[in-house]
Amino acid sequence: MVTARLKLPVALLVIATLAGCAAPPSTGPSPTTAASASAAAGPQKGGTLRIGYGAEVDNLNAFTSQFLTDIELTMVEGLIVSNDKNEYIPVLAKQVPTVANGLVKTRADGKLELTWPLQQGVMWHDQVHEFTADDVCFTWKYVVSVGSEVYNRNSYLPISDCRVQDKYTAVMVWDKPSAIYNGLFEAILPKYMLDGKDIVKYDPYNRSPVGTGPYIFSEWKSGEYVRVKRNPNYWRGTQYPYADEIVFRFIPDINTRLNAVKAGEVDFAQMTPTQVKDVKDLPNFNLTLVQQNSWQHFDMSIKTERGARIFGDKNVRQALFMLIDKKTIVEGVLEGTVQVADTVAPTTSPYYNPNVKKYPYDPTAAKKLLDDAGWKVGSTGIREKGTDKLQLTALLSSADAIGKLYWQVIQQNMKAAGVDIVIDTKEAAARTTVWRSGQWEIQISRWVLPADPSVTGLYSCKGSNNMTGFCDPVMDEQMIKSDEELDPAKRKAFLFKAQELLAENAFSLPVYYNVNPIVTTKKLGNFKASGTNLGSFWNVYEWYLNK
Amino acid sequence: MSRYVRRRLIQMVPLLFGISVLIFVLIQAAPGGPEAIFLENRLFIDPQVIEAFRQRLGLDQPVPVQYVRWLTAVLSGDFGISFTTGRPVGQMILERLPATLELMSVSFVFAAVIALPLGAYSAVKQYSLFDFAATTTSFLGIAMPVFWFALILQLFFSVQLGWLPTSGRDTIGDGSFPDQVRHLILPAFVLSIRHIAGWSRYMRSSLLDVIRADFIRTARAKGLREQMVLVQHAVKNALIPVVSIMALDLAGLFSGAVIAETIFAWPGIGRLFVQAMFSRDYPLLMGILMMSSFLVVFFNLIADVVYGWLDPRISYT
Repeated sequence: MVTARLKLPVALLVIATLAGCAAPPSTGPSPTTAASASAAAGPQKGGTLRIGYGAEVDNLNAFTSQFLTDIELTMVEGLIVSNDKNEYIPVLAKQVPTVANGLVKTRADGKLELTWPLQQGVMWHDQVHEFTADDVCFTWKYVVSVGSEVYNRNSYLPISDCRVQDKYTAVMVWDKPSAIYNGLFEAILPKYMLDGKDIVKYDPYNRSPVGTGPYIFSEWKSGEYVRVKRNPNYWRGTQYPYADEIVFRFIPDINTRLNAVKAGEVDFAQMTPTQVKDVKDLPNFNLTLVQQNSWQHFDMSIKTERGARIFGDKNVRQALFMLIDKKTIVEGVLEGTVQVADTVAPTTSPYYNPNVKKYPYDPTAAKKLLDDAGWKVGSTGIREKGTDKLQLTALLSSADAIGKLYWQVIQQNMKAAGVDIVIDTKEAAARTTVWRSGQWEIQISRWVLPADPSVTGLYSCKGSNNMTGFCDPVMDEQMIKSDEELDPAKRKAFLFKAQELLAENAFSLPVYYNVNPIVTTKKLGNFKASGTNLGSFWNVYEWYLNK
Repeated sequence: MSRYVRRRLIQMVPLLFGISVLIFVLIQAAPGGPEAIFLENRLFIDPQVIEAFRQRLGLDQPVPVQYVRWLTAVLSGDFGISFTTGRPVGQMILERLPATLELMSVSFVFAAVIALPLGAYSAVKQYSLFDFAATTTSFLGIAMPVFWFALILQLFFSVQLGWLPTSGRDTIGDGSFPDQVRHLILPAFVLSIRHIAGWSRYMRSSLLDVIRADFIRTARAKGLREQMVLVQHAVKNALIPVVSIMALDLAGLFSGAVIAETIFAWPGIGRLFVQAMFSRDYPLLMGILMMSSFLVVFFNLIADVVYGWLDPRISYT
């Protein structure tokens, strides 16, 4: 039931989109209209796609929901979405503004002006009102308002103005350059419906959203399912979407979900890595291991006095890193479904730096480092230095079934080197509170990034999500520069350096990249899984079900 | 009798008040507030957003103030707005109640129909092969973890045989009566197992007590047929403690089954409760817990009344 959806508020600039779509931005519906390629195989019309979903979502407002926006994105569209290649591609925008295409301009006062040309003739689901630049600016106004409860509101705050240049052109003014400008507005709200409403509490929208997307809200049966039906007037063309209906059935228990797949009750379901062996050979299903923009990381906190004493010493940190046998964790615990991670960017990202310092499992070297740092094995077999014992408490969420397994591996390996690990399992919300407070010793959990690779919020000295207390001004500089750099090549250099420093400083050890195993019926065509926080429904309009 | 009932009803007021204070304080004491789930799901979050969220929900106020606000609203019939969905708690509970009532009453009736004769027959044939088998099965039923048994049944009846659906309340787009019945079978059966096991044990031991009583010997001595003795005299009297225990279990009809509802994706109160608990949805938790508390207290009263009605030796004044 992992519902984590992390988007990076802090991040900024021109990213993968620019790198990936340096080619002239198409003015067509979008560069993803790959349907034509598979049209030879013949996308078929009709059918109901039954999705075995996890826990029931809280609401269907893409801005205020605490859950993944999979369901929303079948109905609601934004200016952009992220695709299977970690690129931001235009949806309701005709093209993404860049310096190269002349849509990003620096004004005399130093502010940036971004011009968003919009698709024309796009109707909201009521078929009465047209989507226009008014809706874009209305959405901006809501998001930045106090009390909008949009989790990444602070990434929108540098936008100081949104102007309707004409019906189909919105102009946004940025007070400072921000690399993630093209990763915002993944949904647009209908002004005609929400103007003057208290959106956070407005049920008529939040329980039955109106969008411009390929599917129209049909029914939400509490505790059971959400159902969306085909939009017969979809703007990309009336051949889209292919399927008649999509049903998201809420099945919170992962074992039940597995049984529902095996019994053929659902066509699409998210599994856990430990269930891969159960589903990889099912005759009627394909298994896709979706590489997430997400990694597990081993951290130590120096926010406690004892933590600062122990983990303040880089040798101790590096020794602990070398006592974590990533390979065994990946191959044993996760049954080879994931890849070992050495840095924070996914290997598929253009910002992946393969040349960071690595910490292979090496107990001999680790023991030596600890000995040299003054941590001698005491009478109990546990290392000691002064009054401190190298007995570390690992913070773990009771909901983290895989964590329970790999901590056993780590516990054993560390014990052999004289480091005792006590596992402190706490209920999920309780763990989060402790984790956020910094009052813990060691932990492993995950971060999930949007398509943009900025990690400033996680590792900068004042990062709002820096829970460890580590701080390196040199690294800060690299990260902050990268966030404000609009040139992808220059940005890459900053981010490469930041990744190298992060590894060299031994502030955090990436353990492995997370995968999201999704099973889909073999009848489903055009499914292109995406590992970003916007999920795999980005091209749902072109999915089809073979009979 | 009516005076007794009235007195008990009046006693319920301070009792429920005490319960509400206790629950309110306890759930607030659990580490991690409603914003923790926010942080759990959205790791990168604007701290100001959390503040706005806490303010809107009144979480920035001290607990006693929050309690008084909650109580004032409840006294005017308003159970508040759920933190997670932003919808009225009363409405959310009412939406889920039919599914829970359906599941729980079916399993309740099924369990009663099986358990009472089973227990009675075991008592009559004490130490017979049947008795041993029933006893062993009962203990198995009591000991068997619901989540495990539920999954095994799903594997067998849904995956292997394909006879019954794994989960849900109906097939989307179908929803006919036979379809609903098919969805009901597995969860109702799983839930009834524990009742069957428990109640049949009570029935057995209660009947064993009664069978040895003097009035049964008298009944036999005056020449009544054995069947008459058992049904008219023994079973009726043996039912007294069993029925009061069953009446207490009635409260569960409304509060639902936490584990079974989650595993079978049954849209009932039990599952709602789990969700509310993990997300620290205080108003929803309070709503569900107060409803169950009220029902427990209420069915306690019913049990006492039924007790008096079944057993003329007990009288309330």
